[in-house]
This record gives sequence, structure tokens and C-alpha cells, in this order.
Amino acid sequence: MRYDAIVVGAGHNGLTTACFLARAGLKVLVVEKNDYVGGAAVSRELTPGWTYSNCSYVCSLLRPEIIRALELPKHGLQVIPYESGATFNSKGEYFNYASDHDALRRELIRHDPRDADGYERYARAVMKQCRFIKPLLLRTAPDPTSFRPRDIAELLYIGRRFHGLGERDMAETVRFWTLSIAEFLDEHLRSDIVKAHLAGSGIIGTGLGPYSPGTAYVLLHHYMGEVDGSIGAWGFARGGMGAITKAMAASFRAAGGEIRTGSGLHRFLVRGGRVTGVALENGDEFHADTVVSGMDVRRTFVDHTEAADLPGDFLKAVRRYRFRGSSGKLNIALDAMPTFRAAPKGARFLRGDLHFLDDMAEIERAYDDWKEGRWSSSPYVDFLIPTQIDPTMAPPGKHYATVFVQYAPYELADGPWDDARREAFAQTVIGKIASHVPDFKDLIVHKEVRTPADIEREVGLTEGNIFQGELTFDQLLFNRPVPGYAQYRSPVRGLYMCGSSTHPGGGVMGAPGANAAREVLRDLRRKIDMGAAA
Amino acid sequence: MSLDAIVIGAGHNGLVAAARLGQAGRRVLVLEAEAAPGGLLGEAGGMRIAAMPTGLHPEVARGLALHRHGLRPGRPMATLALGGDAPLRIEGAAVTGVDAATAAAFADLHRRLARQASALAPMMLKVPPRLRDGGWGELMTLARLGLGVRMLGRAEMRELLRILLSNVWDLLNDEIGDGALAGALAMEATLGGAMGPRSPGTVLPLLYRLAGQPRVMPEGGAGAIVAALVRAVEAAGGQVRTGARVEALLAGDDRVEGVRLAGGEEIRAPLVFSNAHPKATLLDLLGVRHLDAEDVRRARRMATEGMVARLDLALAAPPRLPGGTLPGPGDRIIVAPAMGTLEAAFNAAKYKENPDRPALECHWDAGASRLAVSAQFVPCTLKGGWTAEARDRLVANVLSVLDAAMPGLAAEVGDVTLATPADIEARFGLPGGHWHHGEFRVDQMLMLRPFAGAAQYRMPVAGLYLCGAGAHPGGDVTGLPGWNAAGVALKDGRGR
Amino acid sequence: MNAVTEPREAVPMGLVPGPFHDRLEALNHQRAWMNWMGVASPAVLDTVEFEYFAIRNQATLFDVSPMMKYRIAGPDAEAVANRLVTRDVTKLRPGRVAYAIWCDEAGNVVDDGTLFRLSATEFRLCCQEPQLAWLDDVAWGFDVTVEDVSRDIAGLALQGPTSCAVLRDAGLAGIEAMKPFDLREFRVDTHAVTVSRTGFTGDLGYELWMAPEDALAVWDRLMEAGRLRGIRVIGYQALDMARIEAGFLLPRVDFVSSETHLRPGRARNPYELGLDWLVALDKPQFNGRRALVRLAKGKPRRRLVAIEIDRDKPAHHALVYHAKRREVGFVTSALWSPTLKRNIAHAWVEAPYDEAGDLWVEIYRQRELVWQRRMARARIVERAFFRHPRRTATPPADW
Repeated sequence: MRYDAIVVGAGHNGLTTACFLARAGLKVLVVEKNDYVGGAAVSRELTPGWTYSNCSYVCSLLRPEIIRALELPKHGLQVIPYESGATFNSKGEYFNYASDHDALRRELIRHDPRDADGYERYARAVMKQCRFIKPLLLRTAPDPTSFRPRDIAELLYIGRRFHGLGERDMAETVRFWTLSIAEFLDEHLRSDIVKAHLAGSGIIGTGLGPYSPGTAYVLLHHYMGEVDGSIGAWGFARGGMGAITKAMAASFRAAGGEIRTGSGLHRFLVRGGRVTGVALENGDEFHADTVVSGMDVRRTFVDHTEAADLPGDFLKAVRRYRFRGSSGKLNIALDAMPTFRAAPKGARFLRGDLHFLDDMAEIERAYDDWKEGRWSSSPYVDFLIPTQIDPTMAPPGKHYATVFVQYAPYELADGPWDDARREAFAQTVIGKIASHVPDFKDLIVHKEVRTPADIEREVGLTEGNIFQGELTFDQLLFNRPVPGYAQYRSPVRGLYMCGSSTHPGGGVMGAPGANAAREVLRDLRRKIDMGAAA
Repeated sequence: MSLDAIVIGAGHNGLVAAARLGQAGRRVLVLEAEAAPGGLLGEAGGMRIAAMPTGLHPEVARGLALHRHGLRPGRPMATLALGGDAPLRIEGAAVTGVDAATAAAFADLHRRLARQASALAPMMLKVPPRLRDGGWGELMTLARLGLGVRMLGRAEMRELLRILLSNVWDLLNDEIGDGALAGALAMEATLGGAMGPRSPGTVLPLLYRLAGQPRVMPEGGAGAIVAALVRAVEAAGGQVRTGARVEALLAGDDRVEGVRLAGGEEIRAPLVFSNAHPKATLLDLLGVRHLDAEDVRRARRMATEGMVARLDLALAAPPRLPGGTLPGPGDRIIVAPAMGTLEAAFNAAKYKENPDRPALECHWDAGASRLAVSAQFVPCTLKGGWTAEARDRLVANVLSVLDAAMPGLAAEVGDVTLATPADIEARFGLPGGHWHHGEFRVDQMLMLRPFAGAAQYRMPVAGLYLCGAGAHPGGDVTGLPGWNAAGVALKDGRGR
Repeated sequence: MNAVTEPREAVPMGLVPGPFHDRLEALNHQRAWMNWMGVASPAVLDTVEFEYFAIRNQATLFDVSPMMKYRIAGPDAEAVANRLVTRDVTKLRPGRVAYAIWCDEAGNVVDDGTLFRLSATEFRLCCQEPQLAWLDDVAWGFDVTVEDVSRDIAGLALQGPTSCAVLRDAGLAGIEAMKPFDLREFRVDTHAVTVSRTGFTGDLGYELWMAPEDALAVWDRLMEAGRLRGIRVIGYQALDMARIEAGFLLPRVDFVSSETHLRPGRARNPYELGLDWLVALDKPQFNGRRALVRLAKGKPRRRLVAIEIDRDKPAHHALVYHAKRREVGFVTSALWSPTLKRNIAHAWVEAPYDEAGDLWVEIYRQRELVWQRRMARARIVERAFFRHPRRTATPPADW
């Protein structure tokens, strides 16, 4: 069978690329190893009546340009914005990160009279950085070593924007990119519980602690999202995160695309330095002059491309690419809405992201455990019960809890992940939650536990890194995934990358997929249709 | 006597600035709080904090003709890394005591890093540009830097841009693997600062050290540098007055006018150079009422927590290295058997606790029968405070690490002198006890050192210049901040 | 487990009642509330026009409690206040009030407000936007405490020609002796009230400051005393009309604070705002002085000017043109002044057109879904469109 283009992996980025290519008139095939589409943006029923967002669990980063261009609402995507969240500490206090400006101000003043103003300064500083970085997300990163007009023009564009900030704000931007999230928060805020609440966004998914330089940028990465234009707001995809990829798949099929699930890639077919198609594990071969890999860079080139077809330096750089899985996930079916010791019954903020923390040092110590090859004895958890506003995910009166856990190593110091260790890990997490939610253990009907090793096995995210690779500067912008190959192309002609291991990185954002599609189409002398009026 | 300039602090940078000003015909008075000149290089309180200094930048040594003032450059020091059965010996790009593959990998890494550092090195002698609107002329300095980096070749430039903000942990694991060699290099990258080897940003100080001068032990010891600089100042007509602690800067209507000493004596001069820490210079000596609130905020938030404690141990017998040899006068001993040792020590320090097993840098002064030890990571502000008990604990931890690395040493120890970062802070007026007057990282380098708007040696009040390690290019004993600051002031004077 | 304590209720969302809320709610027939720092503040109570004319011809009450209020106290309070604002605070005696602005290091305006000197070592700063972080920055290193006392003090603006008479009838003996910007302690029945002869209307007026628990009693006493003097409670809309007539600037409307703006190049300096008279370059270092010295030597790149416009349609959000062709600015505040019977506005105009003449504003008007575009001639005039001699007459005439 011949296609114009084949996309490997039906995750959100693969589907995004596939959609844009199909809408540009190409005959496109998507191949997927699992029996279902979605990659890490899936909703699955593992116990009757409950739908889990098995991996990713909140929607916010998905670029509005992509939602518009792929007509995702028409294809069934509904995003329910949720309001605020809270952190509980061991003293029985809580901090409600209210979305209402006045409520948040009152809440901050309650924790420290100076934190209301400090927070506003902090939020403005973050907002300024978001404003600077946002236009870069849907642009291909320039190669700073290149003298090609396109790269020079792009470098000048960034340079002008940067220079336009003025001397003081340029300095602030450099600081922002180098500071640790702890240092940045300490500069603006005083209350430990407030800082601890905000610090989480600086470390989720990374192999860094809140004291590590560079984590302020990671925060930005999580804040970039938007629900209806308000920066930093998050929402639930109705029906779970699979609703996003289902809508993408529907959009893709409506544009004439074809998806084949159930067989993984065996290898990319390459002849004379050019890709000619893919061979699947079930023996099927499909041919196309353009092949786009949604897998991470290591899987794509180390596992599925012949070394002989790749330059040695490139392969070395790919081998060096850092994943460092650091996150685990529990999905829990609950018999009823649990009771929070410190929260008034029915509090609105229980519908948001909940955390159990005293201060930033607690997260840093959780990170120290991970460095030593242990899961955190007192982990950072991002705990949500989406069924409070999306009843489609559990039977009436029952609930579903998604528990993201930071940190859990890919490789344990004392031996491989096995059932006993997985259960011990789960009990550590559940125990921490139960100390704030007394009836939690008793309400558990079913649970799914995912260690980084499990995430790798099922979703194909190497080492279980949720971003398809660390978000440190050596792997960002023109360094992502590897220097010299940051523009979605690879050493093999016709073979492209569209996964989160390319710029601008992970999260259910779709930007790598859209950018990759733009570069593919550019090489085919076609234009991407972003669906804009102008 | 009417003075042209006062220099606060007779540390090496203050002396360099004074000598350069004197050579240009300016009448200069250097004021030093301690009884002897030298700052961290001097013998203050019976201990030299910078016991294993790097060499002065050749431009400085040449410009001040220090050879004529008695400075005999010694040989670059060799680094002995302890950890295995026998010490590794590192001299430049050469290492012995490891397998051939590791030695080759190290030589290759050293060569590449040195080449990358050499592209950045010309920046050290330049005044960093200001990035204000319309400052395109000054941006040429940056453009030249960019061009220099591009001249490395495409592959090398890409590699530099990749590792620039990265950590030594990853770099060394990728290139040479962990062990005593990586431990010694990671020590070099992190010494004096508050970042463990895993912290992003630790490659940069390593490049900085490679772009600067190697450590040398001059003939006559580290004190010889100070002696030569004092002679250079005096030969140029300048004067060094010790025991004169500057208490405040005198500033009139937006102009510095002189200084007031502890005791009330006022000395006037149109130019004042401060070799003190930027925070101390602006917030304590000048005073916040002469500054805009934003500058105060920037000065306050400088990252300047130092994490090195210094110990001098009197030994009854010379230390014996594993294998039985004795360290020579040009040997610098590192006890950091792996990068994990450093990271573990940093773990404790970041929670403001004493490390159980600090990483150590040592030098044996056979003449004085004294082992100089730098121990990191040790927090400046210790949880519970630096009580006698806490100090004893730190000493015991250091001795136990030393005794494990050089068996039998602990039994020979007599008097112990300890300077915690808090002691260094108090004694030298160094906020955070930071050797380099502020962490060396991207947001505190070039036009951001010590902070934006104050990075060209000129302070917000006219006539006041910063000439210490808090100014570009930063710490270690290069003398460049003092050299560049004097150059800027002389240029300002000509323009007036 | 530890003793079970009742979980704390979540803080309230949205608007909360201020100290005068019970009275305001009873009078707020339009149910039109505005959000002023999270406090419910009336936009209009029954009819804007009646409320406006009461400001100019009778006496009016407006709740200013939601305003931000900071206490700056300690041995260095004067030094800090003087470092903060651009005016010379050493000349401000205890018992006096000054309108002031404060600038950042680039000489751009952070905010404006009124500075009350309560004693040699205590000031109160009243302003629109939160300033605690800024004040902490400015006060760092000084022997002074800075506190947010916004919710500890209730404030009432009593403005209008009969306001002095109302206060006198309410028992504030000697009120007529107060000069503009004077500050004095009084008692209303048993309640301590601090009165300043200040306001936002360009006319005779006072502001009363009291403990929140005394608020309703003071209110009732004033309403009773003012019955025969035509006292009327007003909302923000009427006050804003008087504010434009008086030529006062409003942050976020006429200019953006250099602290809170997000986009580069949006901040404005006192010379651009026409507030030169507030900048005392002859005093020693204060925040922004070095930049302001430089700025004072040059010409502003643009100016906020007061314009009078032909025709009678207010020029809300209108663009300003030179010679009807070149776009040179825009209107920030606009009003058909019912008292002056003139069409007035504040507008930003780029240099050199701020001195050129031949200015036009582009006004769109819609009547029953038919749009018309009109070019109306505009002339730059004195900022204070309305400034009545009553404002400064001491003692005020008895109305």
C-alpha cells in the first residue's frame, strides 16, 4: 500500500500532524501499536463503570490554534474549566488557590498580609515571561549556527522581541530562565504553604527539585496553557483525556485519513539515505516518501532505525538524550466522595488540584529520594476528582480520583520494579493521601498503579518521562531533541519527528505536531492551513 | 595630601586597581581594615582563606610588571584526587592513575572545553555592554563574542550551546564516567558556590576556570602575590594604609566624596573604588538612601550564599597519601571520591545542615607543618546556629573524611583553626561568606554582574566604582575586575 | 488522632460588604454594584444626573472605604515618605495632606495618591491600587513600619457647596477654619473622626476617616444634619463626571502604573502626564530622581492634555488626528459637562502635535442602529475644566 505520508503513533502529536497533512490533501496513514488511539491522552475503562484518564489528566496546554484548525469542538471535544485548587498541610491548614481574584487576595492575606501583593508581582512576572515565550511555541526554533536566511531571520525576530523588553526586563528574563522555582517564589512570597502550592508546577514531570536552577522555566511550561484565553487556567476534557485524541481521530478521518491500530512498528524502511515506508511487527509494510515519527527520538532512531543509516555523531547525541522518568500515576475508583479532614464539606476548591504539603523543602526531599533511586517517602501528589464536574467518568454517586505522583524513579536502586514494589509504592501514596482524607482507603473500589516502567511499557514513553525527555536548557529550543536536528527533520531524508521530544516539548499541547506538519508541508512546497481567517 | 582616588580593601583586586590608577598618575590611597593587606589572600586571623589561589591574568601581571616587584610565577599546581588505592594525578589535560580509555576521554574533554572556554575568554578583559535601547554600538561587543563562538566551528558551537547551562553531573557522566576524576572536576566546577554537581549551570564555572588561569603556588606561597601587588602600588606612588576600616561612603548630591573610617576620620577623594562585596558596598557603605528602590532590590536578591568552610590543621607529621607518598608543595589534594559525594554534601547544606561527609580540597604547607583544608558544602546559615557543638561536629566530620582518605592523619592533628562561611562573612564583610562575591551563573555574569544597570563597574552614584569579584568577570584571583574597573574610571576621567 | 477541629470555611468570593453597606444597600435602587478592591461599591444609586448635580449644588456622600490605605510610622517615616514621593515631604507639616505621585527608577509613575501627615513620625498614604510590595521596597533599610490599614479605616467623602454647613450642623465645631489640605481630629457625637479638606471634585469638600464600627453612626448623623442642605448619597459614575471636570487623573484609565503594566513602553512619566508641579528636583535623592533629572531636560514624547471639543457628543475612546489626517493620539476620559455645558476630555497626544493646533477627534455616534462618523475640532485647554473659588475659600460661605 502506498501513502503520501505515514505517521507512527496515534498520540496527540502524531494525530495533530496527521490531521494537518490530511487537510493539506495528502493521503495519510497513522499506525498505532495499541488497540486504541491516544498515546498518553487516553480514557480507558479498566473496571466496569469507571473511565480513567490513565496518563495525562488535565487539559490546558492544547494550543487554541490547533483546536480551531482541526475543528475539535465539532468533532466532540468539550473542555470544562475547573476552578482553583488547594494545598493541605500537616497542621490541618489549607491554602485555597482561588480563581476568583478577590477571594485569592483574601486567602493570601489570611496566610500572610504581604503575600497578596507579593503574589500579584509574582503573577505579573510570570505573565510577562509567558507573553514573551508564547509566540515561540508554534514557530520552528532557529539554528543559531546556521547562516541560512530563514534561520537568521528567525534569530533576528527573537532578538528583536528580546531587545524590545528593555534593559531591566531582559535581565529579568535571563534570571527567569536560570532561577530555581524556590528562589523565584522566595523572592515574592512568604507563606510556606502558598509557595509549596505554586512550586509544584516547577517540577512536575522533571528530574529536578524545586531548588534546582532552571525550574522556574518549567513552571512557565505548565502555565502556558489557556482555557478561553486566561493564562494559567486548566480544564477537564469531558469524558477524560481520551476525548481529545478521539476528537483528533475523528477530525483526521473526516479529512480522509486512515488509522491502523494493534501492531507496533518493527522498523523504518530506508534506502539510500531516504525513507521509503514502515514495516510493522505483524509483517505488514506500508510505503510513503514521507514518514513522521510521533515516538520519542531514542525509540525512533535507536530502536527502529538501522544504525548504518545514521551518522555516528547523531546517534551518539540521541543516545545521550536524557529522559529520566520521575513520575508515577494512580487511577482510583472510589465508592463515594471522600471526606477531607481540613476542608468544609462541598468546598468548591475540592473540584480542583489538591496537594498535601508543608513547604518546598518537602518536595526537595522527595526529589532527593528519587536521586538515590527510591520513590519519595513523602511524595508530591497532584490529586483530582474530576467526577465532581464530569459525571460521565463514574457510575452515579461514585467517583474517580487521578493521582499524579512525583517522584518515582524508572530504575530502583534495590532491584527492578515488580508487583510487590509497585504495591508498596501505591501504599506510600495512598497513605499520604489518607492522612488528610481519613475515609480514602475504605472507599477504594479499584486502582491502577503506573510506575515509570509501566508508562514506558504501555505508552512507549521511554523511561516513563511524561515530556518525552527532560525540559532542561540542553534539551530545549534549538537543542531539542539534539543540536542540529531541532527542526523536525532527521538525517534520513523524508523521516520527520513530531513527538514531544521536539520543540517546544511535552504536555498535551500539540505544538510539536503542528510544527512538524508545517515543516513537512514546507518540504513538499505546500502550506499548512491553521484555519485562521486571514 | 589631596587624593585622586580611594580604594576600599587591599584584596588583590583592590591592589590591582590601585596600581593601575597609580601607573596612570593618580594619587591613590588603599584602605584596609585588617592589620595586613591581602583580603582573602592575606593572613587574617591566622589563616589564609584563599590558600590555593589561581594565577593572576597575564594581562594584569604584565601590565603591572609584577615580575619587577618580585613575583616569580610558580608552576601550575597538580591536582591529586583521592578515592581509590592510589591518588590520581591531574596536570592540565593529563591524568595518571586511571585506565587508558578514561585518560584519553579526559584529555579529549579537556581539550574541547579549553577550546570552548578560549572563545569566551576575550570577554574577560572587556567591559560588558549595556543592553539599553539604542545601545547597538555596545552590542558589537556581544556580536564579537558570538562570532568568536561561531569560529569554533559548527559542531563545537552546538556543543557549547548545549552544555552552557547544563550540569557537570551529566557532562562528566557522558564523557568520563563517575569516580575520583569526575569528583575532582566537579569540585573544581562547584567550589565556592551553592550548587551541587547535579544543578543545571555548573558547567559554566568549569568553563570559567578553564578560560582563566590555572592554580599556581608562586615562590614564597600565596602571600607573594599580595607582596608584589603592594610593591606595585607603592612603586606607582600609591599608599596602602592598614588597620583602617571604612565605615561609610560619603556621598553628596549624587556624587561620591570620600569615606569615613571607623573612629570618625573622614578622607576625601573624587573617586572611590570598592573592593568590597556589591551588597556591602551599596547597602552598608553607601546606604540605601542614595539608591533607587529597584537597585536595592536587585542588590538584596543577589545569589551570594557561599558554602566553603576553611580549616587549618597543625599536623605533627606530614600527611601520607594512599600508597605512602608525601604531597609536594605544588600539589593540591582533592577528597571527593565521586560526584555523589559532593551531591550528598550539598543535600545537607541546602537544608542548612552540616554535611556528614564534606568534600575537601587540601594543601600541605611543609614549612608551617600546616594542612589547609577547604570543606564544602557547608551552609552559611546553619539550622540551630553555629554553636560550639556545631563547629566541633564540622571539624570531626572533616577529620573523619581526611582520616579515611589518608589513614592515620587524624592522630597527628594538633591545633585546628576553623572559619565557617559565617565566620568569613563576619570577618571580611562578605555577605553569605561567598568567596566570589556572588554566585557565578548566567543571571549574574557579564552585563548582569552584579546586576543589570550596575555591571560596568560604575555604581549608581557618580565617582563610585566596584572593583571586586562582584564585578565582571568575577571571582578567583585573576585581578581582572580591579584591572577593568580602573580602566573604565580612567576612560571616564579622560572623557570629562 | 488529634482533636477534631472544625474545618475552616473558604474565604468569600467576589464582592464583600464594606462598613457602610447596610445604608448603601437600602438606597441602591439600581442594584448597580461595582467591584472596588473586592468591596461592593455603588455605581449609581438611583439617577446619575441627580447625583451629579448634587455634587455641584448640594452635598453628597460617597463611600471611599475600599481605597487602599497604608500606615507608615517610625523614626524614619519622613525619610521614607520623602524617598517615596516626588514632592518635598519635609515641607509637609503634621496636620496637612498632599496630593503626590511616586515614580520608579526610570522616572515613570507608579501611582498617585494622597499623603496624610498625621504626626512628625506617622503618615498615611491613600491610593487606588495595592502598593504594599512597593512600599516595602522603598522602606527597606529604614527604621519604619509599613502596614496595610485599608480595612481598619472607613472613609466617607462629603463633597459639595453645602458640605461645610452639613459638618457644622453635625456638630463639628470650627470646621470652617480648616484650609484646603488641612487635617483635623473631631468628634461626631462620641465617635472620633479625622477630617481632611480634600476631595476629587474641584469644589468644596471633605473626607472623613473613622473606625469601621463607628461608620454607620457617623453616616446617620451626617444624613440627618444634611437633610435641609440637600445631602444625597452618590455612586461612582457621578463622581467620575466631577473628577473629569476637575481635571484629576485616574490610574488604569488615564495612565497605567509602571509597576502593573505588562507590555514594554506603556509606562508614563510625570512630564508626559503634565504633573511637573509635583516633582521637586531640588530635594536630595528620591526614587526615580536620577531619571527625572534627565527627563526634565528633554521634551516629553507625548502629553496627556485636556481638550475641549466642538459639538456635544462625548468623545469616549475616540482617536485624535492632526489636520484630520494623521493619527496622533486618543481620548482616555470624556464627558459632556452638564455644569460647564462643554464637551471635554483627557487625551494623549504625540509630540510635536501637542503644541501644533489643528487637532480633531473622530466621534462615532449611533442612533437607532445608524452609525455616523464625525470629525470634531478639539482645542487644548487648562487641565482643570472646573475649579470653583469655593474650593479654597476659607472660611467657606454658608450655603
